[in-house]
Amino acid sequence: MEGKLTEGAKSEVESRALWARIRRWVRLSPEPFSLREENLFLLLAVIIGLFSGLLVVCFRIAIDWTRIRLLGSALIPPPARVLTMPVLGGLVVAVLVVRLFPRVRGSGVNQTKAAVYISDGDIPFSTVVGKFITCAIAIGSGHSLGPEDPSLQIGAGVASALGRRLRLSRDKLRLIAPVGAAAGLAAAFNAPISAVLFVIEEVIGRWSAGVLGAIVLSAISSVVVVRGFLGGEPLFRIPVFRLVHAWELIAYAVLGVVGGIASLVFVKIIDSVRPRLQRLPRWTFYAQPAAAGLLIGVIGLRLPQVMGAGYEVIDQAMHERYVWQMLALLAAFKIVATSLSFISGTPGGMFAPTLFIGAMVGGAVGGVEHHFFPGLTGSVGAYALVGMGTLFAGFLRVPMTSVFMVLEVSGNYSIIVPVMVSNTIAYLICLRFQPTPLFDLLSRQDGTDLPSMEEQREELPLRVEDAMRQPAEPVFLSEDTVAEALQRAESLPASSAFLVGFRNGDWSAVDKAELERQVSYDKNDALLRDAVGGRLPHLHPDQPLYVALRKMGEYPFLPVVHRADFRKLEGVLALNDILGAYRSAFQASGRTGGAASPAGSTAKPGEIGGEPPRGL
Amino acid sequence: MIPADHVSCPHCERAPGWWPQRRESVLLASVALLAILFAFTGFVTHRYHATQRALAQRWYNRGEADLQSGQPEKAIEDLETALVYVPGNDVYRLRLAEALAAAERSGEAQAYFLSLWSDEPSNGEVNLDLGRLAIRASNIPEALRFYHNAIYGIWSDNPEQSSRNARLELCQALLARQDTRDAEAELIALAGDLPEDANLYVRVGNMFLATNDLDRALRQFQRALALSPRLEAALQGAGQACFALTRYEEARPYLERASRWNHGNTQAAPLLETTDLILEIDPFSGRLSAEERSSRVVRAYEQAMERLESCAQGRGDQLETTTPQTPLEKAYAQALKLRPQMRESILRRDPDLTTAALDAVVEAEKVSAAACGAPTGLDQAILLAAQRHGGGETD
Repeated sequence: MEGKLTEGAKSEVESRALWARIRRWVRLSPEPFSLREENLFLLLAVIIGLFSGLLVVCFRIAIDWTRIRLLGSALIPPPARVLTMPVLGGLVVAVLVVRLFPRVRGSGVNQTKAAVYISDGDIPFSTVVGKFITCAIAIGSGHSLGPEDPSLQIGAGVASALGRRLRLSRDKLRLIAPVGAAAGLAAAFNAPISAVLFVIEEVIGRWSAGVLGAIVLSAISSVVVVRGFLGGEPLFRIPVFRLVHAWELIAYAVLGVVGGIASLVFVKIIDSVRPRLQRLPRWTFYAQPAAAGLLIGVIGLRLPQVMGAGYEVIDQAMHERYVWQMLALLAAFKIVATSLSFISGTPGGMFAPTLFIGAMVGGAVGGVEHHFFPGLTGSVGAYALVGMGTLFAGFLRVPMTSVFMVLEVSGNYSIIVPVMVSNTIAYLICLRFQPTPLFDLLSRQDGTDLPSMEEQREELPLRVEDAMRQPAEPVFLSEDTVAEALQRAESLPASSAFLVGFRNGDWSAVDKAELERQVSYDKNDALLRDAVGGRLPHLHPDQPLYVALRKMGEYPFLPVVHRADFRKLEGVLALNDILGAYRSAFQASGRTGGAASPAGSTAKPGEIGGEPPRGL
Repeated sequence: MIPADHVSCPHCERAPGWWPQRRESVLLASVALLAILFAFTGFVTHRYHATQRALAQRWYNRGEADLQSGQPEKAIEDLETALVYVPGNDVYRLRLAEALAAAERSGEAQAYFLSLWSDEPSNGEVNLDLGRLAIRASNIPEALRFYHNAIYGIWSDNPEQSSRNARLELCQALLARQDTRDAEAELIALAGDLPEDANLYVRVGNMFLATNDLDRALRQFQRALALSPRLEAALQGAGQACFALTRYEEARPYLERASRWNHGNTQAAPLLETTDLILEIDPFSGRLSAEERSSRVVRAYEQAMERLESCAQGRGDQLETTTPQTPLEKAYAQALKLRPQMRESILRRDPDLTTAALDAVVEAEKVSAAACGAPTGLDQAILLAAQRHGGGETD
């Protein structure tokens, strides 16, 4: 007995000693988890991806669960539920939004952008909770909205919360929300490439190696989690695609035109009706989602397919479940139902309805074409698939994402040409007749002026060649002597500065005062290369002006040289030339005040290398 | 330590007191939270999948019941609902596609089948269904492609039989579309790979009969009879094949046994009757005495004249004319010239006369058949007997 006690005490002592050693090691170790902020950012991206993936899994389950509870498990719900549940759902959501979660209105994309550009990446965690609950109720009760954009905001919210807790720097905190957004969207779409592209195309607006790595990591992490829990099944099963004949591209061009018109109608409805509803008295905010729900219920009595996200209907359309007349009807009423849900302030996403409408429009166009040219057109399902991308390009105005989304979802690269044809036409039609893209439109309706990614893409940047001029002063060679240089500069004022070119393509500068000083030191025969100071940075004519600004520093001017031959001087550029070019551009574009951003703006204000302040 | 330089987060102070302040601690806490969320999501997902599966099964069962009760439209709705809960289930998809096909919604069915096919191009069942749809759409090349894929495809249970059934079905479909050339090719391939099954031999034999490949048909019936000598369908089939091959002596016992064992056999009995008549009237049959041959010629002649007369009477034609115009009149006039010599004693002495008489008989029967419809009874027997010896081919 005694022996045993002694043995027990001995092992306890050993165990304590071990723990003490571990504690001491942890305490004494100078940097037990030493991480630079860049590395921390990447690690955080993975953690955000995992969190977002898990939350999106729960979100999708919550939506399904709500739908089954409220509308029943049948594909076509009973009429009584169709009429009542969207109204009840709308009422509950309205109370939650007005009373508890005012920030969860809308799709979530603009809110994420606002976080990036206005509030330094801050998205309160209550928004995540609110978005989760209200969207689950809204979509589950049959409102015509989707889960993707809310997932994007949920991801961004999680990222923001983690970033704040980790006390990241302001720059990193701004970037962390898009990282979470990509994770959330990738998880909801089960398509990481499209999510990454969308976030870059619509939220960040630029390619940057640092943030791209984090976005990709988070998107992949979240998709892995979603696939682990919910399986790798795509949102809809893809029909077999085959381009029957090269002439069929004309049919896809027609789809582009019809898709473009449908996108325009969709945007115009939101553009015209949403501000009117927003201007109504505050008490109506309680009733608007319910009223929208009632109207959706009425539509749902005849067309229950328009309720909810509608992925199963997209699947059916791609498998030629409906005749073209029915597809056209579904497209039209989905536009109405989604517009109702969205403009009433019901939280929920626009991606799924856009895909739905696109699939129906595509299917309808394919059906008509197949009816008249059966030998020249492929399956209706293929048109539905391409149609999804077309609406994405036209309505959401994300051309790159729209192409890659269809590629990623279909896994079929032969579809790329029809998709590009159709998407480009739809995009151009919308660009022509609706200059302001949807997300910019919404942000302006909400009283914010978020940077327009499309405007940035479309605007031609001012370049060095637009501002440079031929040098008024003589240009010297490094082999010239001080005396020769001074002789040529004799008639010029004392403050004049001159460029000095070197045989190896370097450039430097010297002013007249310096030349005179050299002469006073009796260095008449000294070569200029020994008299001048450091080398000047050089510019090329095609470089954007903001690059010139960054390089300008304290230099009076910079040489603009040929890209293939640095010794060949194309011109010079001074700060005044740059300012003059900006001024001319503003006068030419007819813009006034600070509402417009200068051409070529691709960096955030205040960022090194970014554009000069507005109104310059 | 992780550098927390130039921190300018306006919300950092919002962190609750219990929340760790150091970055390492925050990271560890996040990982711990992640683990908890993983466990929670795992639990929720497990329940979710179980519910989804149960719902799917319930709707699938309803769909099956609707299909069994011949309500494919309702079944479609049920199966589509089932697929909402388990989207990738191939069994459900296949049943849905089959329900769509049963509801005559070929386009939708084909789209579903093609989707299944793209997932599993060698699936025998899917290829078979696609073949059926192609047959329904009269797209024979496509049908052949899918049926062949099915025949050589992968079947989950009883692959040999399934593959054979697919080929049988293809043969039947081709025969139904009168495509005897393709059907015969398939049947030849099938016949070489049949198990010992008398009924199957009979089935294949009947299909060979339909393609007019009589020798192969007879062989199949004989194989069946070797296994089951009293199989009525095989006896009848063999009789039919022999009859069609003009091997009436061989046909007779088969037909006789078939009708003896089943008096209600409506196919074998008339054939047997015709066979008996042929065997009775055929003047070129081997081992006939001269008397018997002459007697048969006279009998055939009388029958042909009678047929001509009744045919002309039915049409209101006048056979007794000096200037025969119609084929009936010409044939009658031709045959009438032989009447004085149509006696057994004369015929026995003059073989050339026998030939001339038979030519006139065959001509008379052919003309009558053309004018008054297909012959029956003895007239038919006379023509068939003539055909057997190359004398009565119809134009």
